[in-house]
Amino acid sequence: MLKHLRNLPRDGRDTLFLLAVIAWVVVPQLERLPLWCSLLTGCVLVWRGVLAWHGRPLPSRWWLLALALLTLGATLWSHRTVLGRDAGVTLIVALLALKTLELRAKRDAFVVFFLSFFTMLTNFFFSQSLLTAAAMLLALLGLLTALVNAHMPVGKPPLLQAARLAGGMALLGAPIMVVLFLLFPRMAPLWGIPSDAMAGRSGLSGSMQVGSIASLALDDRIALRVRFEGTAPAQSALYFRGPVLSVFDGREWRVSTANLTPRPRTPANLQLLGAPLRYEVTLEPNNRPWLLLLEAAGQKPELAGFQSFMTNDLQWLLDRPVTDLVRYRAQSHPQFRHGPLSATPSLQEFVELPRGSNPRTVALAAQLRSDPARAGAPNSELVRAVLEMLRTGGYRYTLEPGVFGLHTADEFWFDRKEGFCEHIASSFVILMRALGIPARVVTGYQGGELNAVDNFWVVRQSDAHAWAEVWLPEQGWVRVDPTGAVAPGRTGSLQRLLPPQGAVAAALSSVSPAMAVNLRAMWEAVNNGWNQWILNYTQSKQLNLLRDIGFESPSWEDLSYVLIGIVVLVTLCAAAWTLWEKSRIDPWLRLLHAASARLAKAGVPSTPSTPPRQLAQALLRARGQADPAVPAIRDWLLRLEAQRYAPGHGARAGLVTLQREFKQLNWPK
Amino acid sequence: MNSPRSASGASTSRARPQWPFDAGSTQPRSWNPVALAQAWFRQWWQARLPLQDSITLGQRNVYILPTRAGFMLAATLAVLLVGAINYQLNLGYLLTFLLAGCAVVGMHVCHATLRGLTMHLIAPEPQFVGASAVIAISLQSERKSVRYGIGLAVLGTDHWSWTDVPAQGSATVHVAFQPERRGLHRVPTLTAETHFPLGTFRVWTIWRPAAQVLVYPRPEPHPPPLPAGEPRSGDATSSVPHASGEYDGVRAYRRGDPLKLVVWKKAAKADELISRDAESMQRLELWLDQAATGSAHTEHQLSRLCAWVLQADKLGLDYGLRLSATTIPPSHGEAHKRRCLEALALN
Repeated sequence: MLKHLRNLPRDGRDTLFLLAVIAWVVVPQLERLPLWCSLLTGCVLVWRGVLAWHGRPLPSRWWLLALALLTLGATLWSHRTVLGRDAGVTLIVALLALKTLELRAKRDAFVVFFLSFFTMLTNFFFSQSLLTAAAMLLALLGLLTALVNAHMPVGKPPLLQAARLAGGMALLGAPIMVVLFLLFPRMAPLWGIPSDAMAGRSGLSGSMQVGSIASLALDDRIALRVRFEGTAPAQSALYFRGPVLSVFDGREWRVSTANLTPRPRTPANLQLLGAPLRYEVTLEPNNRPWLLLLEAAGQKPELAGFQSFMTNDLQWLLDRPVTDLVRYRAQSHPQFRHGPLSATPSLQEFVELPRGSNPRTVALAAQLRSDPARAGAPNSELVRAVLEMLRTGGYRYTLEPGVFGLHTADEFWFDRKEGFCEHIASSFVILMRALGIPARVVTGYQGGELNAVDNFWVVRQSDAHAWAEVWLPEQGWVRVDPTGAVAPGRTGSLQRLLPPQGAVAAALSSVSPAMAVNLRAMWEAVNNGWNQWILNYTQSKQLNLLRDIGFESPSWEDLSYVLIGIVVLVTLCAAAWTLWEKSRIDPWLRLLHAASARLAKAGVPSTPSTPPRQLAQALLRARGQADPAVPAIRDWLLRLEAQRYAPGHGARAGLVTLQREFKQLNWPK
Repeated sequence: MNSPRSASGASTSRARPQWPFDAGSTQPRSWNPVALAQAWFRQWWQARLPLQDSITLGQRNVYILPTRAGFMLAATLAVLLVGAINYQLNLGYLLTFLLAGCAVVGMHVCHATLRGLTMHLIAPEPQFVGASAVIAISLQSERKSVRYGIGLAVLGTDHWSWTDVPAQGSATVHVAFQPERRGLHRVPTLTAETHFPLGTFRVWTIWRPAAQVLVYPRPEPHPPPLPAGEPRSGDATSSVPHASGEYDGVRAYRRGDPLKLVVWKKAAKADELISRDAESMQRLELWLDQAATGSAHTEHQLSRLCAWVLQADKLGLDYGLRLSATTIPPSHGEAHKRRCLEALALN
């Protein structure tokens, strides 16, 4: 097998290498492509590989035409279109595979190369992680190697040689890449991004059908990273506010649409108390038009490229979804007060429950209300009583609560007595509303963990949380986290319910839990650096760079000027280097060449390698002794020879003299 | 040192003319004014190139233009950039710019492959019309790295001989061409080209060697038999030429005759070995006479004489050549043959 590989003719070997590189480019896509496309691509690549292995001829064009039509039809069938991102990726991958069956002329090979570059780009639609970048760098080097190898027509050069050359080119090209990356003006999309650009990424959603956060709770991906200026607050105080859900239809909690419009005035009597907390958030793309900020942020966060505003219920919204990593600075006041201080008609919507929903919970509320021990007690007392009930009533926190029926709160309070934050918060708010206390569900992220390597707090999708807010007279809206009452470990301490891990991680953490944690922390710090420096390099960062260089108020045009300036500078350097290289020719040799050129004009034959003495003899032969110019030139030539070959007569000075004399000599015409 | 590969054969076919200087055809094929202007420009450009047998390539005589693949790559880069902008992919930017960087580096590498290379022409051997004349070209590199993928060809043809030039070493390339007319000709204009490393640029040079190649007439493929011997001038014993039309000074083989004297053709017919009669050879002289070729056309005459010279030389005979302008007395051997052929080429 190996021997056959070594003895393959050059054509076969090169084709197999190219196929391997193409497979490497395509493999990350396979899981996202329709099944037929993955199968077709795999089969075609293997088929082509077998043909190359045995040196058999390529299939006829009819085969290709049929397969191409099939691909087009199947794409239409699975995507309902041939346009758009996903259909485009399917088509490109399939066409790339099919084109390998048509590697006849040089032009075909180039088409394969360029299609592969596109396919590499399509990988970035789905992931721009460090791993993807590393894999695609390898793919790019592979493609360059194949391209270089294709232009070494002599013999069968080893692929390693081509790889070295390609690597060298990539290394030399890297500075160009860095300069362009730093200075190429970033701009908004040239035209609308197809709507499916963010398909397949999940995050907090704008609504909460009880149970829908179950998948998030197991999702270990990072949602956002925070770096605090100064000391960080306690982990238990980190509540990142997301959508506030106040409309309940018996099954699903939704955002009140009245809150989604920008309000010009400072909303909802927000009173900020105490010292602010300053921090910087790097938010992973979530395709949602909202920011996540610590409660409660009164000031507009500093964020380039977006318009932001705060809703009546303290959520910060954006004018368009976050489709890319964004970074913003903000300040929040952990102590605050908001909402009307006395009962207003607008609070009515926060006690509404659909008729007939959760009858047993409503009955429970009536029973609590009518308890003579609490006659005339304030609402805060009732809240405390319910929390006490959660704490002592045998309620349990679990990640696997099972499927709930129609009356979720009834089931939670009376039957199952277990659930996670969603169930608990939802049931708590329903009970509050049944009691006539205005209440709503707040979703967001709670907690996070400090990465000791780079001092960033990492908040994961598994930190998604739902808690409650109740309105109390003279206090306004007050945060109540009923989950904390059920499972104190869920909030406020590092201990969390660990989601199931992969085999390697499990093995590693059973051998050395500390090492697993450290490795993970290091890996995430590297990843964070990647995000901060590469993925989050935006126009504002470009302009900051210019500001650091010394531009007063940098603009888009300044970027272009700097870019053009660098190009001009590099060109000038290259020109200077060329001149310098030219001047490196031995000055003695240059003088000799100049002399032989002068003599050649006068009909004295010479070659560039004719030494001075022979030149003198040739001159004598061509011109004869009679010519009055001959003796002086002959003498000069002999001294030129002596200057180099009979050293010890002040070599340097002699050359300068000879150069001067060269100009003064009376050269024959 | 790489073993050079030589072109498998040359042809006089005209390759498609390419702008600006690379088509050998000076014959405009249409009366299209643009084509005429191009042809004129090409001719003018080539005429101002110096004639030299060794050439060192530098900035002044190495040309560079993107190839079709280069334009394809440029289009690919543009689409990648638009993709990166539209989907706001910073990794897309990185990919695009790295690829662009590699293309720029590739351009320099491509140009550097020819820049600084020295080519020497090794003067070609005389050749017959219709046969391939092989020009050997020695490529010398002072550079500390290998120069890959350099092709040489006669300008205007598509028969490339590819070679690598080792670091601080030399390689020899053979390029063949088919001379069309006899006489003394300049070696055709040559071109060296490379697409290394990415094929996105074509770097080439045009070189007019000063060396000349002597082209003998085309030997007639099936010439009539050699003319009859003539009596040695001043020898009265045998003044009548043989009527057989064939040089007939033969006798039966005697032991001790050198193999060189055996007339193999006759031996095959006669079933016994037949030797040339040395005495007869002394009496008769073989003269290849332009007037006696039996053809009116000069080229046909020279073609036949050429074939006869080769035939007589093969048989190891003494022969003389009598042309309208020159006469070469009978003799034999390589130098004599060469002298005769030269006379035929330059007549």
